[in-house]
Amino acid sequence: MSIRPEEIKVVPRGPEPGGMGGAYRAFGETLRGLRTTMGRLFDRPVTIQYPEEKTPVYPRFRGRHKLHRFEDSDLEKCVGCSLCAAACPAECIRVVAAENDPDDRVSAGERYAAVYEINLARCIFCGYCELACPFDAITMGHDYEMADYNRSDLIFTKEMLLAEPIERTPLRGEGE
Amino acid sequence: MAKQRPKPITLTIDGREIAATEGEMLVDAAKLGDIEIPVFCYEPKLGQPVGACRMCLVEIEGIPKLQTACSTPVRDGMVVHTRTEQVKEAQNAVVEFLLVNHPLDCPVCDKGGECPLQDIAMGWGNDRSRVVDQKRHFEKPTQLSPLIAIDRERCIMCYRCVRFSQEVSEDSQLQVHERGDRSYIGTFDDRPYIAPFQGNITELCPVGALTSYTYRFQARPWDIEQGGSVCTLCPSQCNVSFTVRDEQVKRVIARDNKHVDDGWLCDRGRYGYQMMYSTDRVLNPVRFDHGNPVPASWDEAIGLAAEGLARAGGATAALVGDASNEEGFLVQTIVREALGSADIDSRQAPTIGREAQVALADPAIAARVSDIDDADLVLVLGTDPIHSAPAFDLRIRKAVRRSHTALAVATERPSALDGGATETARYAPGEAANFVSGLAAAVKSGSDLGIAGLLRRAEHVVVVWGERLGRGEDGADAVAALLELSEAAGLAEKEDSGLIEIPDVANARGLREVGCLPDAGPGLAPATPGRDVEQIREGLESGQIRSVILFGVDPVRDLPDPEGWRRALEAADQVICFSMVASDTTDLADLVFPLESHAEKDGTVTHPEGRLQRVRPSAERPGDIRSGWLVLAELAAELGCETGIGSAPEALEAVTRAVPFYAGLDDQEIGGRGIRWQDRRQADRFGSDLAPTATAAGDGSGGRSSEAPAEPSPTTVSAAQTGSEPSDPGTGEQSTEAGVGGGSAGLDGRRPPESPPTAAPGNGLILGTYRDLWAGPVTDLSPALNYLIPAQRLELSVADAERLGLGRGDEVSVRSGETAVNARVAIRAAVPEGTCFLIEGTIEGNANVFADGRPAAVEIGEPEVRLDLVTAGGGSDDDPDGGDDAGDGDE
Repeated sequence: MSIRPEEIKVVPRGPEPGGMGGAYRAFGETLRGLRTTMGRLFDRPVTIQYPEEKTPVYPRFRGRHKLHRFEDSDLEKCVGCSLCAAACPAECIRVVAAENDPDDRVSAGERYAAVYEINLARCIFCGYCELACPFDAITMGHDYEMADYNRSDLIFTKEMLLAEPIERTPLRGEGE
Repeated sequence: MAKQRPKPITLTIDGREIAATEGEMLVDAAKLGDIEIPVFCYEPKLGQPVGACRMCLVEIEGIPKLQTACSTPVRDGMVVHTRTEQVKEAQNAVVEFLLVNHPLDCPVCDKGGECPLQDIAMGWGNDRSRVVDQKRHFEKPTQLSPLIAIDRERCIMCYRCVRFSQEVSEDSQLQVHERGDRSYIGTFDDRPYIAPFQGNITELCPVGALTSYTYRFQARPWDIEQGGSVCTLCPSQCNVSFTVRDEQVKRVIARDNKHVDDGWLCDRGRYGYQMMYSTDRVLNPVRFDHGNPVPASWDEAIGLAAEGLARAGGATAALVGDASNEEGFLVQTIVREALGSADIDSRQAPTIGREAQVALADPAIAARVSDIDDADLVLVLGTDPIHSAPAFDLRIRKAVRRSHTALAVATERPSALDGGATETARYAPGEAANFVSGLAAAVKSGSDLGIAGLLRRAEHVVVVWGERLGRGEDGADAVAALLELSEAAGLAEKEDSGLIEIPDVANARGLREVGCLPDAGPGLAPATPGRDVEQIREGLESGQIRSVILFGVDPVRDLPDPEGWRRALEAADQVICFSMVASDTTDLADLVFPLESHAEKDGTVTHPEGRLQRVRPSAERPGDIRSGWLVLAELAAELGCETGIGSAPEALEAVTRAVPFYAGLDDQEIGGRGIRWQDRRQADRFGSDLAPTATAAGDGSGGRSSEAPAEPSPTTVSAAQTGSEPSDPGTGEQSTEAGVGGGSAGLDGRRPPESPPTAAPGNGLILGTYRDLWAGPVTDLSPALNYLIPAQRLELSVADAERLGLGRGDEVSVRSGETAVNARVAIRAAVPEGTCFLIEGTIEGNANVFADGRPAAVEIGEPEVRLDLVTAGGGSDDDPDGGDDAGDGDE
């Protein structure tokens, strides 16, 4: 059986080793990569010295929750309606409400949260609680440093959530 | 009246063919086709629809205007549209109108999450409000009653609560004040709403206007679990659902069962759950070391109990009270099989004999609770349902109101049902046997007068009778007379007719059927006769019985002769007390075992109509409490009687093996609604091994009616009446004839009462006692109900009070022989002259010292030791009339 000429396909081959082409093939890409390295040689380092230094976060970053008070009356905004607990997909919020004593109010309405706990070990930081809250009482803060030695220490109580974080997380500025 | 067969019809709703029955309301028919028509005011339990809220407007072809689906009965071939533009616009407008004054404070409102207004506004309303004006404002929340807060801003004026108050509980306290957009719900003069069924309005309210203080802000619907069970605080055994959060019961709501409770609960059942978390609850076994309570481990306690019981052997007795069928069965197994004793009782009065019990349990004369609804005549005999089984009170009122059932009431004490009764009769305390046999004789003799005439004429008769009828020495005679009466009235032959007993303890029927009777074993089979409750007390006092098991009984408080019981328990070598809460009895015990509450128990109970219902565990047992069946099975094993019971279903199996007519029952068959054993195939096993049944028991009393009739007792005051006027004591003899149905046959005078009332010494007053709904540990230990704790009061007729120169609130001493109690005078027009009444089971001045069913002639005088209250003279006057006795609204 013979091969007919129309059946022959010509495959182009690269240049033979040696010569300028061979040298380029051996070192060209390496040198191109080195150009980037050399170019950064005199730049300042980008490493952030955590924990001494902190990465700034975006304003809408969803960090640890905060509970809020009214600025004028110092009453808690939370009325203990449990909607955050209902919205929470991780079921990490526990609210036990109680009735306000009109002479010693905790919140503005009839009821207040006697117990407000978030189990941050379970929280997935989805922010649904913030969305569900009818009184803007809970918001997602910027704090992301929550590591602890003990799981039970990750259950944040109302007092902990109402308190200002000890150290503020830096915010990323406009266009940063 | 005969139950009419409803006619099947078909109609079209939204293009769907729906098969319904004639006369059904459109809303209900639509549900059959999975079409929801929104409603607020419609609630079939409240009776006829009112069409007040206008939410259910629908378009019906052929009618130009929109119609309210809740009040339009369906007709054959009707074509209905619920989703046209016109309907949508109307629904939208109704929701908008409802929300005009609704504060929308859902996050704060307790109803949030389970609120029909929220759901309907979401489903059928507009998502934008056009209201810019000021909403209506009220002071909020204000107290409607000690149990209920009212928030009038949230009210949408659906009238459900008002209808409940006026047409179901018939206390008529809730009213709509003002008119138009100013109308609001309230009570006259802003007095607190005090009624025994008030909790139901919090469940009826479709918005958060009526909330109960006990559940306020306790939980949201997504925080809770519902556990269905049965309330065992009284014989009504209403079906309830426990709202449980964090393993604790937070609320009790009704679980509609039309066969049992009609969907209503009394306040005792609704708020009595608080007793479970009282500090008086027994949380672990306790042994008494020289009178000092020492906590014991379970092994230690069971060991000690077994040791003492083994030592006493046959000289052991047991009393069973608040127990499930399984627990009762195991107690009787321990007593009869492990210890060889025959002394066990679950009743509170001397035995009436096994034959009578068998005759009473005969399926032929057993009525269903639902038979009351369509009965021609309901005869209430010797019981006041409001105090003994409140659900029956509502049931009877419903029958009278909606089915025009004739109601006859024959009691010692004026009853709460008198107002709606066609006939009322009063017999003197201790005269029950005479009265009933007189009535039976009158029916037999063909009298057409009074109750006898009603009994003879009615086609469907339900006799609701109280176990108290069988108290006292002639208790057995009273029961025999009752059986005679049922035979004379032909209850066995009449359809949907029969007897329903209202017993003294919640599961009395179950306990008797599993063998907690001195002369009847499981299945009411003959057993070696033993001592009954009174003989057990005497046996303990005389030292013949050395050891006693008290299972869920508090004899020092609940049984007649508390002092006798105190002496008896002190004399006993060993008192083993199973109790839920600490009481005077547990103080006298040597060993106390904790009991589960009805929210924690797993077991079955038997309703007075024979319905087996399941009590299911819903909440966690506090402390170190163990299941009753488990403890008893272990105790039996320790005593060498291996029951082979290792789980609650096995305990039920043991019961069903022992009781022939329960045979084969399991949890699945009982289900959520329970099952009457009379309706099962196995019911024919009843009586197969029990030789004497109804007829034989009838024979036991058969000869009586032929005895020469004697003069009616002058103190048997009765009156025929139609209105709400209380019986007039002055009508005397003449009304006796009307009431009983023929004076000559009225009372056979078979055995004159021991101290003939006419010859009563002193003031010539005969004392009767009754158990008040609120006298008991449930009220004492539930903070919400504390305001209802009854103080001892002496009910006197107007004439007697005048004669003795006593006024309302006066403090008196009521004396009979050696015993005396202090009480305050309460004057009731309906009390027959010559009688007076005291409450059993109160904390102070417990009238159980007199309460043995024997007529006690009492003397009323100055109290020897005055109560502390005496200085606060107005003390009892603060209590408004409506509040002094929850049940006697028609005084």
